[in-house]
Amino acid sequence: MNKVLRNKRAIFIFTAPAAAMFLAIMLIPIVCAIALAFCDWNSIGMPRFIGAGNFVEMFTKDKTMGIAVRNSLFIVVFSLVTQQTAGLLIAAALSARGTRLRNFFKNIYYMPCVISSSALALLFSFLFNPNMGINALLRIFGIEGPLWLMDVSWKIPLGLWAIGFVATWQYTGSSMMLYMAAIAGIPDTYYDAAEIDGAGRVQSFFLITLPLVKPMAKISITMSCIGSLKFFDLIYNMTKGGPSHQTEVMASHLYNSAFGNMRFGYASAISITIMVMCVAVSALVNVLIKVEDR
Amino acid sequence: MKKRQLHFGRTVKYLLLTILVLIYIIPLLWVVFVSLKTNGEVMAQPWSLPKTLHFENYASAWVAGGIGRATLNSAIVCTITLVVSILLGSMAAFSISVMRWKHSGKVLSMFLFGMMVPVHCILIPLFVFFVKLRLTDSYLGMILPYTAFALPMTIYLMGGFFTGIPWEVYEAACIDGCSVYRLFWEIAFPLARDGIFVVSLMTFVGNWNELLVAMVFTSSPGVQTIPVRLTAFVSPYATDYVRMFAAIVLAMLPTIVVYSAFSNKIVAGLTAGAVKG
Repeated sequence: MNKVLRNKRAIFIFTAPAAAMFLAIMLIPIVCAIALAFCDWNSIGMPRFIGAGNFVEMFTKDKTMGIAVRNSLFIVVFSLVTQQTAGLLIAAALSARGTRLRNFFKNIYYMPCVISSSALALLFSFLFNPNMGINALLRIFGIEGPLWLMDVSWKIPLGLWAIGFVATWQYTGSSMMLYMAAIAGIPDTYYDAAEIDGAGRVQSFFLITLPLVKPMAKISITMSCIGSLKFFDLIYNMTKGGPSHQTEVMASHLYNSAFGNMRFGYASAISITIMVMCVAVSALVNVLIKVEDR
Repeated sequence: MKKRQLHFGRTVKYLLLTILVLIYIIPLLWVVFVSLKTNGEVMAQPWSLPKTLHFENYASAWVAGGIGRATLNSAIVCTITLVVSILLGSMAAFSISVMRWKHSGKVLSMFLFGMMVPVHCILIPLFVFFVKLRLTDSYLGMILPYTAFALPMTIYLMGGFFTGIPWEVYEAACIDGCSVYRLFWEIAFPLARDGIFVVSLMTFVGNWNELLVAMVFTSSPGVQTIPVRLTAFVSPYATDYVRMFAAIVLAMLPTIVVYSAFSNKIVAGLTAGAVKG
């Protein structure tokens, strides 16, 4: 048995292809990206080392980056609040004993998660188009709707709120699924006991459900934050960062810097910033939400 | 009194759940209705039902709009990625989680580190390499990064499924003189088919919808996948609305059909996957 499982040649044959692929497509490019982040390079000629120059420019001179970071953080917070609250409440409602059509509701709410974000973004950009979608519907009732994606009168542009709404529309289902899985793991006897002790539904939710879904909340929150920091598809297909860069996020700014302005060094610095923020957010969630080992 | 309150609460609950269903369904129905109209109808009454059904919009989007070609490209890229990543990932997962060797833990951590890396980080260096290797604008240029990014999750989940197989099964096979290669290919791999299904779906759906990598690495319609083609083809400022709406429907249709066919299995599977991730 052991002899078979310690076969060194087999271990090499099994592991080497994946490891080689991983090394070539993931690890080496990351090392290159880190190196490039400290260089000035317009894709022609040789990269020139400029130390922390890119990072200094990013956080002191580049106004668009400032907007992009603010907007990315807005999407993180907005998604976090809306998706987690809605996801948990829907999960609790659907998990209640005797809920009819549970699978029907669940399957409908989860469906947008498997649809391409690009297609949904385009669909909603038509819905938010000042002439056709929502505004045409409002006009039937005599209401003149706002410019939606083109409106920049607010501090956080209305377009970004609209995009945040689409993100919530698409991904609430995935938080819901996670919380449903967590609630399914809570023994029925806990709720029975609470009921006998005279606890109402609301009390059971706060005193039993909420504490016991904490480990899952941690996973759901981490996934939501990382997803929001990497946010690109919806922005690119709904506003392209406009009008005048007001709805830019970090990923779209990276894309423009690299493939619009050919500033590969600077764009690498942005990509490293995104990675660092992802790691930092996961660490933060880990520290803030304490889960006792059971 | 209590009973009436309960009844009221239940009515409110189903009312809210139904409103939510409408919020999900109406945008999707709207895009289908608009896609069957004429451009004149869309501008005059965007919310009315189509008077006659103009299916030729779909033909136009499929052929002239290039959505047909893009669907084929997506199918090719996603299928090859799926097969390669499942194969390489399962092999690595088997050696890491079932076989006995000193550095297996370290190698696993290396792969798991990949889960933390946003694809944005490798985009620029990889683009530079691929331009030099003439891999941009080819299927391989998408398959390679997709496979590399699928590996961490595949290895993690498949490892879990391989260790979940009762140890006695492996032992019995070894006593019967089974080689390690057959142990993997004829025993472990078929027994982990539930896992393979879950991982396949996650990989396939994820790549089918992927935009950023595909957009950076391809420029000609001959190799572009659906999200890229759609992005290039549809713009809110263009005027041939009905064709764009038909294209959006065609892009959404495949995943919705697959989802409807296996929805219960997919939902269970994707959740299991996400939980472990």
